[in-house]
Amino acid sequence: MIKLFSVKEKQKKDAAAAANGKAVKQSAGELRLQKDISELDLPKNVSIRFPDGQDKIMNFEITLKPDEGLYKGGAFLFTFAVPSGYPHDPPKVKCLTKVYHPNIDLEGNICLNILREDWKPVLTITAVVYGLNFLFLAPNPDDPLNKEAAQMMQQSPAQFERLVSQSITRGCAIGGDYFPPARGERSG
Amino acid sequence: MELEGRWRDLDYLLTRQGNVVGPGFEPGQEIREFLQDGCRVLVVGAGGLGCELLKDLALSGFGNIDVIDMDTIDVSNLNRQFLFRMGDVGKSKAEVASARIMERIPGVTEKPLDFYEQFHVIVLGLDSLEARRYMNSVACSFLEYDEDGQPDLSTVKPMVDGGTEGFKGHARVLIPGVTPCFECTLWLFPPQTKFPLCTLAETPRSPAHCIEYAKIILWPKERPDDTFDADCEEHMKWVYSKALARAAEFGIQGVTYQLTQGVVKNIIPAIASTNAIVAAQCTLEALKMVTMCSTGLNNYMMYVGTDGVYTLTTPYERDDKCPICSPGVSYAVQPTTTLRQLIDGLMEDPDLGKHLSAPSVSYGSTNLYMRGALEAQTRANLDKPISELVDTSDNVVLHINDKRLVSAMKIRLKFGGSNGSMET
Amino acid sequence: MDKSKRYDRGIRVWGAHGQEALEAARVCLLNAGPTGTEALKNLVLGGIHSFTIVDGAKVTPADLGNNFLLTADALAGSRAQCATECLKELNESVAGSYVEEAPRSLMNSNPDFFRQFTLVIATQLSETDATNLDVICRQHGVRLLLLRSYGLVGYLRPSMPEHRVIESKPDSKVDDLRLANPWPELAAYVESLDLATAEDHVHSHIPYAVLLAQAAKQWQQEHGGALPSSTPERAAFKELLKSWQRNIDGIPLEEENFTEAVSNAHKVWAPPSVPSELRAILADPAADTITAKSPDYWVLVAALKRFIEQEGQGQLPLEGSIPDMHASTQQYLELQRVYRARADADAAAVEAHARSLLEAAGRDPNSISTSDVKHFCKHARYLRLVRWRSLAEETEASSCRGEALRSALAAEDTADNAALYVLLRAADRFYETYQRYPGAYDSEVAEDAALLKSQANALLAECGAAGAVVSDDLVGEVCRCAAGELHVVAAVVGAIAAQEAIKLITCQYTPVGGTLIYNAMASTTSVFAF
Repeated sequence: MIKLFSVKEKQKKDAAAAANGKAVKQSAGELRLQKDISELDLPKNVSIRFPDGQDKIMNFEITLKPDEGLYKGGAFLFTFAVPSGYPHDPPKVKCLTKVYHPNIDLEGNICLNILREDWKPVLTITAVVYGLNFLFLAPNPDDPLNKEAAQMMQQSPAQFERLVSQSITRGCAIGGDYFPPARGERSG
Repeated sequence: MELEGRWRDLDYLLTRQGNVVGPGFEPGQEIREFLQDGCRVLVVGAGGLGCELLKDLALSGFGNIDVIDMDTIDVSNLNRQFLFRMGDVGKSKAEVASARIMERIPGVTEKPLDFYEQFHVIVLGLDSLEARRYMNSVACSFLEYDEDGQPDLSTVKPMVDGGTEGFKGHARVLIPGVTPCFECTLWLFPPQTKFPLCTLAETPRSPAHCIEYAKIILWPKERPDDTFDADCEEHMKWVYSKALARAAEFGIQGVTYQLTQGVVKNIIPAIASTNAIVAAQCTLEALKMVTMCSTGLNNYMMYVGTDGVYTLTTPYERDDKCPICSPGVSYAVQPTTTLRQLIDGLMEDPDLGKHLSAPSVSYGSTNLYMRGALEAQTRANLDKPISELVDTSDNVVLHINDKRLVSAMKIRLKFGGSNGSMET
Repeated sequence: MDKSKRYDRGIRVWGAHGQEALEAARVCLLNAGPTGTEALKNLVLGGIHSFTIVDGAKVTPADLGNNFLLTADALAGSRAQCATECLKELNESVAGSYVEEAPRSLMNSNPDFFRQFTLVIATQLSETDATNLDVICRQHGVRLLLLRSYGLVGYLRPSMPEHRVIESKPDSKVDDLRLANPWPELAAYVESLDLATAEDHVHSHIPYAVLLAQAAKQWQQEHGGALPSSTPERAAFKELLKSWQRNIDGIPLEEENFTEAVSNAHKVWAPPSVPSELRAILADPAADTITAKSPDYWVLVAALKRFIEQEGQGQLPLEGSIPDMHASTQQYLELQRVYRARADADAAAVEAHARSLLEAAGRDPNSISTSDVKHFCKHARYLRLVRWRSLAEETEASSCRGEALRSALAAEDTADNAALYVLLRAADRFYETYQRYPGAYDSEVAEDAALLKSQANALLAECGAAGAVVSDDLVGEVCRCAAGELHVVAAVVGAIAAQEAIKLITCQYTPVGGTLIYNAMASTTSVFAF
């Protein structure tokens, strides 16, 4: 134990504390995010934007343009909201561009394990971006979020491929839902 | 006027020399006077722990207690938050709690205040990691180290923290610069379990899966214009009815309103007795820390009341690279030094350089120079003098990030003298 | 008022049935010092039925310095009355009454008074009074909690002949899955899922329990009925599982259910065993002689024993719940039903034994309900039983456990707290001799320390632990605090007591099985069964 206060010689401390009087400049979550952002290693097909400027990094957007696979030619916009509990809590990610994809639903929810059940504080924003990129290269119909898309992918792969390509380039309606062309914008 | 003999039992402890006491314990009436008049304690949170803390502190001789809490009183608080009555439901916790304590123990003044600097000790009665990390940043932001890397004791803002869950709890002492801070031991807090979205959407197997589905997937879809509020009964009932319907569809049993609340609010059940154990232990440690009247807790005590009573007292260790409480490095610069010169200087420094390959520099939330995504936006700062980038009248702490570092390195700038690291 | 809302958090810990038990509990408190009122405060907040305070003292200034449940306007008034009024304010649905009389005098004049209570919490009693009260409470079958706060030392001792726990609610539970020895219905269900012909999305959603049971069967067929026992065999078993995974060009697909199967493979060769606590309960003589007076618990333990010997073939009744597994909803629920059906059948068999035991003992064979039997079977693996020696047995020279005391005083991790146990008892003897507690006067603290030390040594000698050492530092600390009741120490002891009271009243979780010493100097606790 350490003696912090001397009762008898009163408190010299008040002066020291008053002179110091500074505010907390940032949350521990932001401090960690600065490290992630300074080391962000984006694949060529991914770009990032900080809509609130370089000093407000807790909310940002990335645009992903798959350079191979079924979704090549499309551009998909994601928002990242990093909670102050980061990295104990994972970033909240949504896909704003409507997409016909077995693991992304029409509200933009994404079924990616490291965003929920497999999140660990050692993971980084870079890891999440790579995870999203992978989701477009290898959609997984086994554990779907958009069941219709998953069934189509499993039962009629050729038809699925056609619908994906049509929806991202020209836009089309699939089963009653309209998918505008995927140009990296907010849909709907 | 103080009642003669009121503090008889406490005075035995404070006015008599002991064999098992803290360093420099000086028994005498002055200690009680200091507790009563000089020492200022802040209690953060006026919930289950907070109510107990206020009572315990007041009955341990502390005369100046402030309490802050943003919350209002709910019926489900009354099973443990004994300063509140049925008629208080809806009122501010901080206001009611301080009024009730003052009523009972005269001489104690309590008022809701929001300044952290003036307090000698901060006692935390919080229920979230997020709030703890915030208070940790606050307390550690006061911390200064001397030239030998020893904490300047006049800048140490000690905290005592408690937490409970059912029959289990913990009490810990956080002396920034001396014992680990929350950030040093973040691993003590297990992450919340989250179910995969695809399980919720396609293969629900448990009532909790149905509830989460209603909250996470259905709410935004069916009520996109309403922000979900867990404290709104109509919202909770909506989630409950949707979860019930989903469970019926899949043949899953066990969705109840109580479970729905538990899952949606992530309720960690708190009961009066455990709160009381933990709060009293925390108060005892605050008393020891201020008076040295007995040996202090080093630095974490766990209490488990489920199978008999089991306690474990453990000295956790500091993380010497902790970006929040570690001393960092003093580094001398001129106000006219450019950011580029500073970075080059750090890279060439015999001690620091070996940890750096491509450093980025932040000043609080201000990103002065960032590699990676913000390089283009921050490049122009490289040729600006430091004096243009930071407030040189303040204590300037920069955070250096680099792939070679596990976490940000703190650099404390000292203006004047020749450039370079001042650590020996 | 909506009670379920007010008590919501408690109900999440001990359930609606636990809350019912609390709401029926009548608690008696002896002495309304802070240790006692703090214990009661936590129970009143939790929602007990009623409390009665027995205290003959008047409110003094010192009371206002350590007791939150006494008020300045009651100075020189009845302590029992003031505490009762303050406590009743905390929860309008709890009834409170008081008897303004010293506990000792009430114990002597009207020992039957205590018969009406579920639990007696006695605080700050001397060893003699505590021993007498223990006799009274045992006679009336009333549960007793003895508490004491003494300077920086706390003491808690439950006392009753035995306490039986069905819901011990252990932190970690084991899964009883019977993968290597499935009963016919489980075996048939496992068989019915054909991995080879399953479509991909079905294949990747077969619960891991089924995969493991299939692998266990194949392994046993290839190894003369044996299970994998060595490290290489276990590795080979996991390889067998992996070989069943679907693949594209030799690269296995990521199938979460297989990943789970591999990490849970130990459940095949290391099924849960019967815990030692349960083995001791099954071997207890109380389970061998069921009479009309046997508590239901023992009737059910006897029935359990018969089940294990007969239908269970050495196994406990199946609990019936299964852990979550990566699986389709349909297959998971099917599997869950197979396990539940077996658990119901096992419970029915236990129930049949219970009926015949009850009948043989001359009781109504239906006096234990089916749902109680099911509840018992669900928790059977984690049954607990706690017995306490009487206070007289613990303290009398002829029956005290001197050797246990000696070794506790010699072991590094218990020496200080065992010494505090001895010193609390020695302080009582000091009081009997000198009519004051050691350290009562500032000028005599040092002299009292020497006297207390010799009382402690005499006590050790009587207990057969002569020569064991009690540290002088602690002797000094006990004198320094002069039996003062510090609010924080009282709050810790009172709150631990409230936890223990809830455990005793709800028969959930396991209470402290001996004497608990709380050391507020070192912030440690020890439990001793002397």
